[in-house]
Amino acid sequence: MVAQAEGQEAPAGKATYDKWCAGCHGEEGAGDGVAATYMLPQPRDFTTALYQIRTTASGELPTDGDILRMIDEGMPGSAMPGWKDYLSNTERTDLVQYLKTFSRFFEDEVPPPVEYGGAPGVSEEGLAEGREFYDKIECWKCHGQAGRGDGPSAPTLEDDWDLPVRAADLTEGWNFNGGYTTEAIFSRLMTGLNGAPMPSFADLIDAEFMTEEQLWRVAQYVESLSPEMPEVREVVRAALVETLPATVDDPAWNQIERFYVPLVGQVIIEPRWFAPTVDGVWVQAAHDSERVALRFTWNDPSESPSAEWEEWRQRVVSVMQPTVETTVSTAEEEATGDGEPEVGELLPDALTVQFSTTIPEGMKRPYFLMGDQDEPVYLLNWSSGGDTSEALGRGMNAIEAIAGETVLVSESTFDEGQRRLLLSRALTLEGANRLVFETGRPIPMAIFAWDGSNGESGTQGAISTWYFLYLDQPTENITYVFPMLAVLLTAVLGVVIVTRAQRGAHGAGPGSGSD
Amino acid sequence: MVSVKRYLHHPFWQAILVLVVAYLLVEYGIPYLPPLIGISSAPVPQSVVLQYMLTVLAGILIWVSDNEERWARFRQPIYAALVDRDKKLLRVALMVAIPLLAGWLTFRAVRQTVAAPPSLRSIHPAPPSSITFRGETITLAGLGNPLRQDDSIAEAYAVGKRVYYQNCLPCHGDALSGDGHYAHGFMPTPLAFTGSGTIAQLTESFVFWRIAKGGPGLPREGTPWNSAMPAWEDILTADEIWSVIVFLYEQAGVSPRTWEEAEGPAEH
Repeated sequence: MVAQAEGQEAPAGKATYDKWCAGCHGEEGAGDGVAATYMLPQPRDFTTALYQIRTTASGELPTDGDILRMIDEGMPGSAMPGWKDYLSNTERTDLVQYLKTFSRFFEDEVPPPVEYGGAPGVSEEGLAEGREFYDKIECWKCHGQAGRGDGPSAPTLEDDWDLPVRAADLTEGWNFNGGYTTEAIFSRLMTGLNGAPMPSFADLIDAEFMTEEQLWRVAQYVESLSPEMPEVREVVRAALVETLPATVDDPAWNQIERFYVPLVGQVIIEPRWFAPTVDGVWVQAAHDSERVALRFTWNDPSESPSAEWEEWRQRVVSVMQPTVETTVSTAEEEATGDGEPEVGELLPDALTVQFSTTIPEGMKRPYFLMGDQDEPVYLLNWSSGGDTSEALGRGMNAIEAIAGETVLVSESTFDEGQRRLLLSRALTLEGANRLVFETGRPIPMAIFAWDGSNGESGTQGAISTWYFLYLDQPTENITYVFPMLAVLLTAVLGVVIVTRAQRGAHGAGPGSGSD
Repeated sequence: MVSVKRYLHHPFWQAILVLVVAYLLVEYGIPYLPPLIGISSAPVPQSVVLQYMLTVLAGILIWVSDNEERWARFRQPIYAALVDRDKKLLRVALMVAIPLLAGWLTFRAVRQTVAAPPSLRSIHPAPPSSITFRGETITLAGLGNPLRQDDSIAEAYAVGKRVYYQNCLPCHGDALSGDGHYAHGFMPTPLAFTGSGTIAQLTESFVFWRIAKGGPGLPREGTPWNSAMPAWEDILTADEIWSVIVFLYEQAGVSPRTWEEAEGPAEH
């Protein structure tokens, strides 16, 4: 009904492009669609013909198959979804041809894919050699010693459009644009990411600095850094332990189950945030019937507040502050307007864990985004700026500290692009609105995180919806008594049946059995 | 072959076979077979599995005891296991295994289990008859999309597209299928607009209410405390909301429910 093509000669793929792609990539394919400044990384600019994920050599055009693969599978870790379930084969192959019309460069011939042999078998020595070359070819400069995208060059990285770009966190393979099989990683190492700082290492093979097999070893090493994408579970279980882990890096934490809570940008109330750093937090919990200890582990390449990352922050803020033309000033906006950080002020990292103030009896919980005027939430706030506090939230912009002595123990470390935080509190505290952690009941819990070096504070950060924390109850003896009774009763019954049957058979004359 | 056939004709082994097949069907067949032909399914709760199995067992017992000769043949292996001298080993093994199995099943039933409380959520709760939009009362009943009354649908679509891409996309996704790049972060997950089950069943005024008031404006049965849907009246104008509604229906390729349809059968 709308957006009908007028000309009879509209190229194949144009209608599909205009309908489904132009919103981000722009009518003319320049990566400047209306949504472009609402995401980071921003949409691809097709006019330059710079495609990241290719089978062709560094700097070359992609093959049709490469472009189709990107459309089909999308770009994990970015806003680009895979389209193979939504568009027909014809629509997608037509799109490939249409995308190429955005750039004159496609008048040139597309070279064939780079050729290489298969992967050697994975071995301990192979991984060690991979690590050796990870150092030698300086992967660590951007990706960091532990692969968390926190290398010394990481804060300075920008793409060919001068936009800030993250060095991939190699421990989160599910966010790799081109997939995280060893084959895919090797292909990236061979062909580089056009338009991004990631180079090709094929020339090091040509120069006989390393062999192709050694580059495969690097790919295998990188692949080994990432677990499978974590499964998300709704209930975080706090184990009952004899002694709580004493410090944030107490080895006892290794015995405690980890739960992954994914976080996304706060895009619900203004000012919103579309480029959060923290995309997930691992939660571990334990209690000893007196206190509860929570350990949070998350990756963040910058140890904020950080002068080293200040320029990064400014660049991110300058591209990520969309002018919301449509916004009509509201009371709420006026209230938050002065809460924004001054340029030049170094912001800390922060994490807030949110609970209901009491454990709800029914389904009803407080509003997940820091409560509301009707029903507050109980917050434990930590900041690398030094504050740890209990607070009451009646909305993101209405948070007040709970007065009284500090009863919260906190300890944090920052280590190779990873923040680990321990928060501990007595299960029961005096005073109104201070949640009493009861065992054996699911307690609503949510998590919020901010990366100061990414310009995050206030409403601009990463959030989750409600999860639950469940404190294990001591296993009551009754749990063992019932099964033992069942065993006993069944055994006695068995003996009675067998004895009676045998008495019948062997005593009172022949049944069918005795021979 | 011959011995297998003999077993298959024996009522006792037939009963065992039926029990095993029934268990496999209930435990694995029900959750995993229908998805193969595109019908969604879910695992059967343990208590229901038990009920099914008891029903099957009762049926088997009625069948084997229905006929004197069959009943005798059915009992024969059981009796043999109980008394035969050469089956002593089997007898002892069963007398150990069965109590242990009973113990394990009991333990499984009484041990501590951790589960989120059930959340019973109405996805399309009944709308109010009127709402207050930025201080102005809007009557929803009978209300159509004002932008459809003049010939500016193309313009509304264009405005709606911008509004959608700048606001809705992270959660509801490029393909309008509720799987934007932020969707995985939210429980409940964002609504998909495609297919016949979502906005195609709703009037445009219902959609206007949902967009304007968002999660916090849901009635209790819609679990407003969980929903990440913003109350867009704080951010968008009424025209922008009506425009994005035009965009949603056009882009998803579905038509809104009309008030004539809505007044017929009961609303859900």
